[in-house]
Amino acid sequence: MTVADLPGVRRQAASMRLLADHPLWILGGVLVVLIAITGAIRPSYLSFSGLRNTVLLAAPLGIMAAAQTLLMLTGGIDLSVAMVATGAAYVAGNRSPSGALIAIASGLLVGLIAGATNGIGVGIFQVNPLIMTLAMAAILLGLFTSWAQTIFTGSTTVAPLIKTLGGGSFFGNRVPYNALIWVGVALVVMWLLKRTGLGRITYAIGDNPIAARLSGVRVWQVHLVLYTLAGLLAALAGILIAGRTGAVDLQLASTFLLPSVAAAVIGGTSIFGGVGSYSGTILGALILSVLNSMLTFLNVGQAIQQVVYGLIVLLLAWLYAKVTTER
Amino acid sequence: MTAVVRRRALNLRRHGWSIGVWLLLAVLIGWYVLLIPRFGSFQIASIIKNSLPLVYLAIGQAVIVITGGIDLGAGAMLVLANSASATLMQDQPFLVTILIGFGIILGAAALNGFVGWIINVSRVPDIVVTLATSFIYSGLALMILPGPGGGTSAGFRILFTGSDDGTGTSFGFSLGMLLVPVVIAAFFMRRSRTGLSLYATGSDLNAAYLSGVDIRRAKVIGYAFGGAMAGLAGLATVAITGSGDPRFSIGANATLNSVAAIVLGGVALTGGIGSVVGAVAAAIIVFFLSPILSAMGIDPNTAQVVQGSLIVVVMMIAGLLALRRRRAK
Amino acid sequence: MTDALLETKAVAKSYGSVVALRSVDLTVQPGEIHALLGANGAGKSTLVKILSGVIAPDSGTISVNGRSVTMRRPPEALKAGLATVYQDPALVPDLTIAQNLTLTAIDEDAVRSRLTAMGLGRLDFDAQIRDLPLEVLRLLDLARALAHDPQLLLLDEITAALPSDQAEHVFGIMQEWKEKGRSVLFITHRLAEVLSLCDQATILRDGRTVAQVEPRQSGERGLVTPMLGEVAAELEAATSRVISQEAPINLATADLYSGGKVNGISFELRAGEILGIAALEGQGQDRLFELLSGDRRPDRGEVIVNGSPLRARSPYDAIRRGVVLVPSDRVLALLPKRSVRENLAIPLYNRVQRWLGLVGDEDTRTNKAIERLSIDTRAHRQVRRLSGGNQQKVVIGRWLANGFRTLLCFDPTRGIDIHTKRQIYDLLKEVADTGASVLVYTSELPEIPLLCDRVLVIYNGRIVHEQDAANATEEVLLSAAHGLEESA
Repeated sequence: MTVADLPGVRRQAASMRLLADHPLWILGGVLVVLIAITGAIRPSYLSFSGLRNTVLLAAPLGIMAAAQTLLMLTGGIDLSVAMVATGAAYVAGNRSPSGALIAIASGLLVGLIAGATNGIGVGIFQVNPLIMTLAMAAILLGLFTSWAQTIFTGSTTVAPLIKTLGGGSFFGNRVPYNALIWVGVALVVMWLLKRTGLGRITYAIGDNPIAARLSGVRVWQVHLVLYTLAGLLAALAGILIAGRTGAVDLQLASTFLLPSVAAAVIGGTSIFGGVGSYSGTILGALILSVLNSMLTFLNVGQAIQQVVYGLIVLLLAWLYAKVTTER
Repeated sequence: MTAVVRRRALNLRRHGWSIGVWLLLAVLIGWYVLLIPRFGSFQIASIIKNSLPLVYLAIGQAVIVITGGIDLGAGAMLVLANSASATLMQDQPFLVTILIGFGIILGAAALNGFVGWIINVSRVPDIVVTLATSFIYSGLALMILPGPGGGTSAGFRILFTGSDDGTGTSFGFSLGMLLVPVVIAAFFMRRSRTGLSLYATGSDLNAAYLSGVDIRRAKVIGYAFGGAMAGLAGLATVAITGSGDPRFSIGANATLNSVAAIVLGGVALTGGIGSVVGAVAAAIIVFFLSPILSAMGIDPNTAQVVQGSLIVVVMMIAGLLALRRRRAK
Repeated sequence: MTDALLETKAVAKSYGSVVALRSVDLTVQPGEIHALLGANGAGKSTLVKILSGVIAPDSGTISVNGRSVTMRRPPEALKAGLATVYQDPALVPDLTIAQNLTLTAIDEDAVRSRLTAMGLGRLDFDAQIRDLPLEVLRLLDLARALAHDPQLLLLDEITAALPSDQAEHVFGIMQEWKEKGRSVLFITHRLAEVLSLCDQATILRDGRTVAQVEPRQSGERGLVTPMLGEVAAELEAATSRVISQEAPINLATADLYSGGKVNGISFELRAGEILGIAALEGQGQDRLFELLSGDRRPDRGEVIVNGSPLRARSPYDAIRRGVVLVPSDRVLALLPKRSVRENLAIPLYNRVQRWLGLVGDEDTRTNKAIERLSIDTRAHRQVRRLSGGNQQKVVIGRWLANGFRTLLCFDPTRGIDIHTKRQIYDLLKEVADTGASVLVYTSELPEIPLLCDRVLVIYNGRIVHEQDAANATEEVLLSAAHGLEESA
């Protein structure tokens, strides 16, 4: 009888395999543990209003991370999401006097234009996504800083409807509206990835662009569509963030860039493409938001917060790599 | 005879991008001289010394990317080294500040080498690990120096800037501090066996391994070298500004500029291709664009737009050239 | 009794659940040229990796000159006296020759003098590896290996792409090594070379040593029989198929030219026909398939699909016209991390109109393809975990699920076991019987009469020979493929 034949060992191996096949369960576990710890630190957190604050933060992050997930699945990345979000929010703030719907539409237009430009650069001119979106962020920052003094000198507060969508709640102030929007975005993104041809091709070009091309996929079309979609999602996230804060400025969404990548990475989306899911990213966004609340409650100061944040991102990515490569 | 001609043609093709970037820099400098009313040693000194941090950072990033990685924590390391040195060097005599400087370079190399080791062991992609370290480094910087402050010795400032208050017109020291690391890095990468093993690792992991290269060691060395250069960039910053500044956004911007500079300088993000010398020219260009554009009367925001657009256009041209070359093969 | 120069005993190696080597015994005496033979997948390449220190065996012993050695990294194999020249040269593409030599700490002059002896004295050491042709790289790699002055020289398929004069240089070096009292382990598919050069031959099958013979005594039959085992009998003669001359022409080319690699190729392929293409490596067949599959446009001439010219901007246009490709390398064609079903379904979605939603009969189509090819889908969520044969079936099955009129297959049976090979032959014939056309390039000439109706031989980008496949003997095809038209 070898060691592996012993019943206990076998059960353990089976449970490891189970975890390897369902790595999201680990993330779910991590999330529950983090919520419990946060609750232990501050018992009032385990209430509707405590969790509501986490969701308020998680919703725009989750939407921005949806953009990141779509692109990372193709083997790309979008480092302009935060600046696109900021720009969209800024325009939405400025157009708010003309009504909320026009403001939202103008904000989304910013995302459409910036995203499509990224798509043209990456898809047609084959610019490395890292460089293309990096440069896009710099260009947008420059444009909006100068426009803030020339074209968009008007309102820097957003319309009441946007405030409600970004920061308001219903059901007796328990469920934030932005969570509702997030659920809608999540359903659409998950449907796109799992139940559509575009989803199939998204995974395909991330896994093996040559195979996709030889199967007749015109990769540039996919890039164009996905980068545009990512721009729109980033713009939506930006408008929601502006709704939460009530006012817009040019630093509005800058703190969201790295977490948007981190949420997708923690959620098991490979930065090289072809593997991952939006459900993982949702868990990633929730984990990061709970972590944020926890560190705030601990009152440890910005410095330790950042170190802990970085260490946990690293450890979770490591854990994920370990579990999924050992099968 | 024909062999020599052939070799020249080959070299031109291989180094063509690098040469082009240096020519572009020369054109920009010429243009700048015509643009401003007085061009003298003050301007020269200002350009050289202020480009030092980005040049160092770009050298480090180039080495890491050539080895097949990428360091999104480079800028944060600059901030960490800047904060640490400003804190430690305040009110210290020159000799002590020099010793602290060496200590910080060594510490930065060790810390970043450890990051390379983590990438080896964890098999988490470089970009993810260094994204995490960018948080950690900036957090550490904030712990050491909670807000702008600190200082250094006058001698230390002269070493990088040529004057004890960071203004002055003599540029001998700055030029030396520019050239020495560039020459060392270029020589290390192209002439030493270790440097070649970094190229080999980034170019073709399999061939490198079969050629007897220890690819894990190469990664650690690449990251350690990159860390040392980022540390040096932090020292240059303390010498130029006379203080430390732990703000996260400074590091994030510096990282972005270093990546833009190396790509503009002809280093391929896929690894194994490009040179330190090209990256240096591009780093000076990336820095130099803002004084030029401001001399043209363009405000800094528009300057940023122009800078970003320029990078995109250059990369688009490079993409089209690569496509045409593939077609013609 | 003198010790053997190299002796391996019961060496075994598995990758996960896939067994690559079961038990290999190999004994190489000093002063001999020893051939290592075996069909594709027999375990030769795994053994080479073990002997060169790339991977460590799971069990078994290796001894050199009677002393047991363990080699965990390539430099340790070199230290033990074993130097390997790989099929894909181990030279770093972005460095120059001189830099590659510096990297491995080898004296340039030693390499230079070796190269001069091989007729490559004028090679520029500042040239980048990327810019050099494969045959030069192989010889360079050989010269570098010789500079280590090894006890045993391992040559893995070194003659596969070499012109005959340069192959002669290699043979000369093998002789020289033998006369020095050292040894050569020679891996090749060319039995003629084994018969004329080698003193001993060890034959592997299914990861085991099945025989050690003296080629000069045993003759060709004595080498082939242990290599193929009982399955040799399975390779029966082809059933002849009749192609109607009235059948429509599905695919034709008119005087195709491309980049000096394809130099005026014209042929016609009728519905129901399987047309074979035979060629040595690098005769323009790769480029021809790129042109036919829409991956590249010709400089001159036309690809004609069902009577009208194909002006493709990407493979999409060829696929829409019913011309589909099974590429040479499965790595190019598969989505390794995705499931069998997703791999099969991918061409269904290459049209933007189908991006929102899934094709209604996707499941029926993929199920049919899986059934027809009897692809083993059990518990394999990612196709990279399938065997090579099953992977190849997925690549072909993709087009069965999508539909096509002309199937282009580039070396479809490379590295596949004999059982799957038969299945693929049968499948291609079935496909042709339903009125589709099949164009097959194969690097294994004995396949031509088994599979094809007609064969074209390509040499230097031109068709130099055409005949009925049923009567195409290996000798005739080979001499034509070398550019020697002996029937003339």
